[in-house]
Amino acid sequence: MYHKTLSYRIFNTLNTSGLILLAIVCIIPLWHVLAISFSAKSAADANLVGLWPVDFTTEAYKKTINNPVFLGSILVSIKRTIIGTAITLVLAFLAAYPLSKESTVFKARTIYAWIFVFTMVFNGGLVPFYIVIQKLHLMNSFWVLVLPGAVNVYLTILMLNFFRGIPKELEEAALIDGAGHFRTLFTIFLPVSLPAIATLALFSMVFHWNSWFDGLLYLHDAKSQPLATFLQTVVIQRDMSTMSMSPKEMELLSQKTVNAAQIFIGALPILVVYPFLQKYFVKGLVLGSVKE
Amino acid sequence: MKTKASKTWLTMLTLTVILSLLAACSNSSNTNSGNAGTSTVTGNSESVYKEKYDPPVTISTVWGVDPALKFKNGESIENNVATKWALDKFGIDIKSLWSVTDTNGAYATKLRLSLTSGQDLPDIVVVGNDDPQLAQDLIDSGAFQDAGALFDKYANDTWKAAMELDTNVWNPYIRDGVRMGIPLLDYAYNHDYLLWIRQDWLDKLNLQAPKTLDELEAVLDAFKNNNPQGLKPDQVTPLSIGFKNSLNTWMGDPSWIFGAYGTMPEQWNLAADGTLEYGSINEAMKPGLVKLNEWYNKGYIPREAALWDENKTAEPAVAGTAGIIPGPYWMSGWPLLDTAKNVEGAVWKPYPIPTGPDGKAGRHGTHFTNGVILINNDMKHPEALFTYQNYLFDNYANPAPGSEFDLGLFKGYDYDIDENGNPVFGDDIPGGQIIAPARYFLVRDGARIPDAQMNALLALADGKEPETRLEKDVAVNYGPDTPAAAKVLLSQEDISMKNMFTGPTTPTMKMKLDYLNKLELQTFNEIIYGKKPVDAFDKFVETWKSSGGADITKEVNDWYNTVK
Amino acid sequence: MKLLKRNWPFHLMILPSLIFLIVFSYVPMAWIVMAFQDFKPRLGISGSEWIGLDNFRYLFEREDSVQVILNTLVIAVLKMVANLIAPFTFAIFLNELRKMFVKRFVQTLVYLPHFLSWVILGGILVDILSTDGGFVNRIITNLFGIEPIFFLGDGTWFRITVVVTDMWKEFGFGTVVFLAALANVNPSLYEAAEVDGASRFKQTMHITIPSMIPITIVVGTLALGNILNAGFDQIFNLYNPLVYDKGDIIDTFVYRAAILNGQMGFGTAIGLFKSVIGMILIVISYRLAYKLAGYRIF
Repeated sequence: MYHKTLSYRIFNTLNTSGLILLAIVCIIPLWHVLAISFSAKSAADANLVGLWPVDFTTEAYKKTINNPVFLGSILVSIKRTIIGTAITLVLAFLAAYPLSKESTVFKARTIYAWIFVFTMVFNGGLVPFYIVIQKLHLMNSFWVLVLPGAVNVYLTILMLNFFRGIPKELEEAALIDGAGHFRTLFTIFLPVSLPAIATLALFSMVFHWNSWFDGLLYLHDAKSQPLATFLQTVVIQRDMSTMSMSPKEMELLSQKTVNAAQIFIGALPILVVYPFLQKYFVKGLVLGSVKE
Repeated sequence: MKTKASKTWLTMLTLTVILSLLAACSNSSNTNSGNAGTSTVTGNSESVYKEKYDPPVTISTVWGVDPALKFKNGESIENNVATKWALDKFGIDIKSLWSVTDTNGAYATKLRLSLTSGQDLPDIVVVGNDDPQLAQDLIDSGAFQDAGALFDKYANDTWKAAMELDTNVWNPYIRDGVRMGIPLLDYAYNHDYLLWIRQDWLDKLNLQAPKTLDELEAVLDAFKNNNPQGLKPDQVTPLSIGFKNSLNTWMGDPSWIFGAYGTMPEQWNLAADGTLEYGSINEAMKPGLVKLNEWYNKGYIPREAALWDENKTAEPAVAGTAGIIPGPYWMSGWPLLDTAKNVEGAVWKPYPIPTGPDGKAGRHGTHFTNGVILINNDMKHPEALFTYQNYLFDNYANPAPGSEFDLGLFKGYDYDIDENGNPVFGDDIPGGQIIAPARYFLVRDGARIPDAQMNALLALADGKEPETRLEKDVAVNYGPDTPAAAKVLLSQEDISMKNMFTGPTTPTMKMKLDYLNKLELQTFNEIIYGKKPVDAFDKFVETWKSSGGADITKEVNDWYNTVK
Repeated sequence: MKLLKRNWPFHLMILPSLIFLIVFSYVPMAWIVMAFQDFKPRLGISGSEWIGLDNFRYLFEREDSVQVILNTLVIAVLKMVANLIAPFTFAIFLNELRKMFVKRFVQTLVYLPHFLSWVILGGILVDILSTDGGFVNRIITNLFGIEPIFFLGDGTWFRITVVVTDMWKEFGFGTVVFLAALANVNPSLYEAAEVDGASRFKQTMHITIPSMIPITIVVGTLALGNILNAGFDQIFNLYNPLVYDKGDIIDTFVYRAAILNGQMGFGTAIGLFKSVIGMILIVISYRLAYKLAGYRIF
């Protein structure tokens, strides 16, 4: 048994401490942002905050919570993430199944596959996209956040590759039993691809949670815009040389502490969801148990 | 066999693309030809100018909403206290076609997109200077009318007088002698700068404020090596400047060092022979670069100045580790007000720009405009715009005491009245304060008269009690030392150098300017950091001229001759 | 048509995705012709002047064209390799952790940097990499006794910094795909190996790594489509005049030029150029993977 050997134990200790160190290096920036969010404004503006708040205050959070636009945008983001992820998953799950077939079984698959991949690399740019959105009357509608990006080719291809890893015998047995392709997909493939679906869901959720440009351009009302759009408008640094502002306005623009609080609250939901999805791809129970 | 199959479907794919391409082309031609015809209709100028319109008239517009602008009571840019006011007061119904939070150039992008997609353009478009090419594109679209003629016909005396303070303001928008847009006036000198110096440091060291570069150097040295706050030399930023994006900007800017030798980089200056000359290729750049290199070696300027943008230069100033920062006159209100919170007893005072060896001094100047108002050909009642603006210029821009806006713009927004009848401001306003509700107006900032704010500040600096609306505004909102700073700023009025080229981007600029700018910034930074000898400047000038700079100079002067 | 009859469920399953792609991807693609026009918004596609390859000329006839394209390629390729190897390696080491709690803890934390934008991280990096008492340089000078390194102001170091920080930001998130692949490995394989007395190292070499190879090829190939995208947000927030010659990339220059030009045709042209190169590389590696490994990536 390798677990007992000395070299393995040494490796294990080194590995564990190394990875923990790495984890700490990764948490520091967010920690720094958190420290700023709890600091006094004067210290934050002077860049005096390191890893611990200076003159601890929760003022920034009070201001954030009192901002109705911020809270409203969180709701929009949650709605878009749930609906958008659901649609993307269904489409990818459906399309990946036939695409995962050998071309001897499904001849057209290769054409379809390239039609899909082509869109990953080429796009018409902003102008025609805007016109399409307008012609479809999606402008200023919630669905503009969800429908245009509904097909995620990258995720479809990942799904397709996971399907290929599923033993052929499973599918053949089902087909021999007289099940159609749809039934095979939902009764045989669905349960064994939960780790893959969890992965896809995570990617799709992160994508929706972080997208800001569509909300900015296609939704006209700040109240209906998602959180990422809102955050983008507060974090970005602006060129002051072209317009005159009073010191009061400059102060409003440079609320480092409030921005930090908003960034932190903005990242929170996706961090909370992560551990729940994580369990699916940390251990490969599902597929293993089926195979036994 | 594989390759054969793949060829077949590649052909198919190509076919699909071409087909959809053709389809889209024919579609777009339809939409566009539909719009092209309408742009020839001229404005209907027969309707008479009125103080109030009954039945109400509509002015449509689009908004780029400042990210910092707040709303209360569930209002929005489309529907708020200012739009209600306009309807009640003038019978003008402000109709919003769309609005976008203006970040990352979203407003410009959206305007260009709606131009392209053939959406209706609004009656009034207000465009800022942050994307100068946008205003030019809009004018070139042919959708907008001769605004100068309308201005002459309808604008009132206050507005006209304000416009005449600098006749150059029309320059960027003149096409074949026709003024295609009304310049958006702004306060003068807003981005002119002076030196903010830690007075408490000077006092403790028994030093006078520096008047020349040599004296400045002595001060910088004392701040660094003999720091009165007990900071070690490597903890002090004697002079907080940065040049990540530009040598010529609004805060933490090094351009006055070149000004002391007689040029102003990154802008077009009037040369002795009356032509326009690009400041960065002037021979006077050399001693300035040498000086900066010297200061870099001595540690007077930040070691990472090449990485610092404007906001970064403010950090050591606020932290209390910087001795001098160049910046606008209003900096005592922001950000320097916070220094005393981090370092007890810190005092910043404004001082003039120091002179060079020949007694010269120079700083970059601020234009009196920050954008343009464009008026659509199809606007039914262009005179309504003037009803609205004339009133603001008379009653808001700089009225005598007793006007409608004496206390502020809107009760419950930027001021309120408590139960005893006394005015309250700031956080005492129930439901919170709105800073700058003037941004709710149809034209950004309502109405500004370029010299009004400076005059108000000078009055305050001379000890006058704030009486007029503007005097009260600057007294409350602009920081304790701002009047004094304004006085310092105006004492050097003659050293302010404005960028004299405000025309549309020239053809050679489009092709070459980005490369030339890059070459310039790179060369200058490398000289300052000692990676190249100062002679690299001569080579830069040569390359600049031969790589398009000479053509650009010619184009710029051709333009200048048409407006001069 | 017999074929269609037999495979109708397959076509039906693809149909919804196909409709979305046609509407939101292929229809807009028609406007790529803008790349060959002096596109004026008000005139549209049909009214704008045709200028052939002029928009492309602007990219290739600049004095620094070669430099900019080279910078883009160097940074993008290094990033691509780093962003494949780092999560791959990390997934293997993470897979060796025995305590589930530690494993999940580490995995959750490394995934965090992905959620901070480069605007924020850029500011933090300027501080910790500062030659003037920045955290990293203090460690370097104390540990090795050498001069502080000007990470963001020296061309070569700038490239290294850009690649390493990008790797640091993305590896945790990138690991997710590999972990999912590992989750698909049949545990009985390990059990059998253990019965045979294989060391853990051998198990890793013969079971863990091979099981991750297919997904690595897929991820790597798809990344090729972005070969000329070296990461605008990151570079834009970190670069400065001192490193223009090693750090200026296509996207940053397009951004600056677009401010001067306000031209959509020009942006489209550059986009098209990047797409064509990306597509060619994808096709090549698709062919290679099939020829050499008999593996169809998609």
